[in-house]
Amino acid sequence: MAYSDKVVEHAENPRNVGTLDKNDPTVGTGLVGAPACGDVMRLQIKVGDGGIIEDAKFKTFGCGSAIASSSLATEWLKGKNLDDAGKIRNVDIVEELNLPPVKVHCSVLAEDAIKSAIEDYRRKQAQKQLP
Amino acid sequence: MDTHLPFNVRLDPFATLGLAPSFVLDVPAVERRHRDLSRALHPDRFVGTSSSERRAALAKAVEVNEAWRLLRDPVRRAEVLFSRVGIPIDHQPATEPAFLMEILELREALGEAQAAHDLGAITRLSTAVAARARLLESELAEGFESARDDRDRLEPLVGRLGQLRYLQRFLDQVRAIEDDFN
Repeated sequence: MAYSDKVVEHAENPRNVGTLDKNDPTVGTGLVGAPACGDVMRLQIKVGDGGIIEDAKFKTFGCGSAIASSSLATEWLKGKNLDDAGKIRNVDIVEELNLPPVKVHCSVLAEDAIKSAIEDYRRKQAQKQLP
Repeated sequence: MDTHLPFNVRLDPFATLGLAPSFVLDVPAVERRHRDLSRALHPDRFVGTSSSERRAALAKAVEVNEAWRLLRDPVRRAEVLFSRVGIPIDHQPATEPAFLMEILELREALGEAQAAHDLGAITRLSTAVAARARLLESELAEGFESARDDRDRLEPLVGRLGQLRYLQRFLDQVRAIEDDFN
């Protein structure tokens, strides 16, 4: 299958590949997988003062579209507050990367990873505030 | 990877190859049957027959090839068996976090072994994962045998199939790395 130029570009030069300390209370980690194809994606955010995402990293084991979707997601996440980050939709990723219908699920995986990273961060913050 | 149904559900690959539907298959025997059928359907044998006969033989040959492609692979075979009883396989339950974590760690370890050109480590990882895949396959086999066509008993096995796909993807990656090294 032919990948769009943007997918190839992200897959060959993925942005923000790496790992943040998952035990850091300011880091939220989202780990998601696609049982229908066996892809695994980890996306992490580091949230600074004022609730702004100051860093985002990912590691994806899967096809080019899955790598590109998560790479793009980390680019979009940086500098956003959590509410805006939570508004990123898979269709935005599909549009930006020109993903064909059979690769739409890769963008869904990226959206799930974002949500689950935000959730993880919020859970940690809530725990911190317990007496 | 694509998640659309990987085969034509109207076509029963077991029936095409004259087999009773089962997860447990004598794969070499099925391969022989595929070969025999393919030979019998070869276009050379239809020289001089009517064009409709030739078309029918060709269509049948395509069907036979597709059936063999589906049944020789345990993941596809399980997909066929789920589809036969109407269990959807493209909307799967989420994978348990602990299992995902394990897969991620295995993939990271494989990446490190690849970067270090450590063939021994790659072999160790691949042997361990292949053993787990075989274990899952035998669990699936047992599950399919005891559930027969009972949907309620088959449904929980879909998660096992998902796990098998993660392991298979890992082993695909091992093969890609080995091809690279050779």
